[in-house]
Amino acid sequence: MTEGPVFHVEVTAGSLADLKAFTDEMQPDDLGCRPVVRRRGTEFVLDAYLPEAQLDTARGSRPAGGVSLEVVENVTEVGLQRQQEVGEGNRFAARGAVPRGLGRKE
Amino acid sequence: MAYLNVDEIESALENLAAAYPATTELITVPNLTHEGRQTHVLRLGSTNAEHDGVLILGGVHAREWVPPDALISLAADLLEAFDRGTGLTYGDKGFAASEISQVMQSLSILVYPCTNPDGRHFSQTADPQWRKNRSPNGAGCVGVDINRNFDFLWDHSVKFAADSGVSASADPCDRNVYRGPSPASEAETRNVVWLLDGSPRIRWHIDVHSAVPIILHSWGSDQNQTAHTAQNFLNSAFDRVRGLKDDTVYGEYISEDDLDIVTSVTQQMDKAISEVRGVGYGVEQAYGLYPTSGASDDYAFSRSFADSARTKVYGFTIECGRSFQPTWEEAEDVIREVCAGLIAFCLAATEYSTSG
Repeated sequence: MTEGPVFHVEVTAGSLADLKAFTDEMQPDDLGCRPVVRRRGTEFVLDAYLPEAQLDTARGSRPAGGVSLEVVENVTEVGLQRQQEVGEGNRFAARGAVPRGLGRKE
Repeated sequence: MAYLNVDEIESALENLAAAYPATTELITVPNLTHEGRQTHVLRLGSTNAEHDGVLILGGVHAREWVPPDALISLAADLLEAFDRGTGLTYGDKGFAASEISQVMQSLSILVYPCTNPDGRHFSQTADPQWRKNRSPNGAGCVGVDINRNFDFLWDHSVKFAADSGVSASADPCDRNVYRGPSPASEAETRNVVWLLDGSPRIRWHIDVHSAVPIILHSWGSDQNQTAHTAQNFLNSAFDRVRGLKDDTVYGEYISEDDLDIVTSVTQQMDKAISEVRGVGYGVEQAYGLYPTSGASDDYAFSRSFADSARTKVYGFTIECGRSFQPTWEEAEDVIREVCAGLIAFCLAATEYSTSG
């Protein structure tokens, strides 16, 4: 595992240029599956996964003035908690144990 | 309830195939993973060889735990609803029985819920933020990002501008986006390629990831443009200049017809998702701030341009939910959104059927 916690951070900017200035300078190692930007109203939002030290640096960086950072969750802590929510054994080991989906059949 | 482990995913597929023999086929892919795991694909729906195919992937990235569970739920829902002659409802989004029949009778749907089981097992039992597979890379490092390993502009250091910020790495120790030693070097990648090669009726591909949320359409390599056919991923004259945002030198060519199709399909998906809990995911081109190389959606769409004998496959990605590992209660709602989006995707595919 990485040393220290990693945080899921929403980086929000009023323009793509501001967002790109931030990421160009910070060079986050982890922008999720793809370095894509979603729109929220008139703003642009990028999801980044930053170690604690990089998060502190990001908050103090010059281009951070054009963006806002919001910590969504500590993904390290959340992930370890969620490992307790993984199935044990095999719920479908018996041939007759057929999974059912979450959709309402109606 | 709880997240499915990798053994449960495979057993779920086997049991669905056994319970619905008339409408399924359990397909064994040819390549074992590094840790020796055998994975399966469940084909459901039409057995008519002339009908269009849809390939749905999940679990490419290990830490994204919801997509494999969502695909098992989708397969189970479609099979049960079709068998009983009912519709399906997710939150406030309902699909009529006639729509379920339309999907099941006119499409061959290949559901591959857990493409990267070694990575998922490691994420669920050791390092929850693990993303790649578990192949040793030498130098003591482990793992290739399957979604940078496909043969689409794979050699990013040659194919893209040095300052493009392309999302890929040639460093075997890169924690997240190591592309692998060669295109399709990984068993997991080759299994997907095998499916596309062996099923020429596949015309639609969607790779289910998390967690932005967003729906992505072609291309991921550069901003789309519809005017200059020579500006395309095959043209080596544009090597080392691709991928820059807002430049005038290169944009990835896509025809207006294809752009209309991918835009319409993704908008239909988003509309369905928005009806589940009242909030859509939004639609964007896969090129965002930076380009991506070696991704499955671009590879699927690129195949027919690289070899005209191949069927054109429209490639998409959906990134579901807001967390890689939400609480199971939240995961269930995300699964409902994914299922609604994917059924809308299949219905849209039937609109563009080539089989009459």
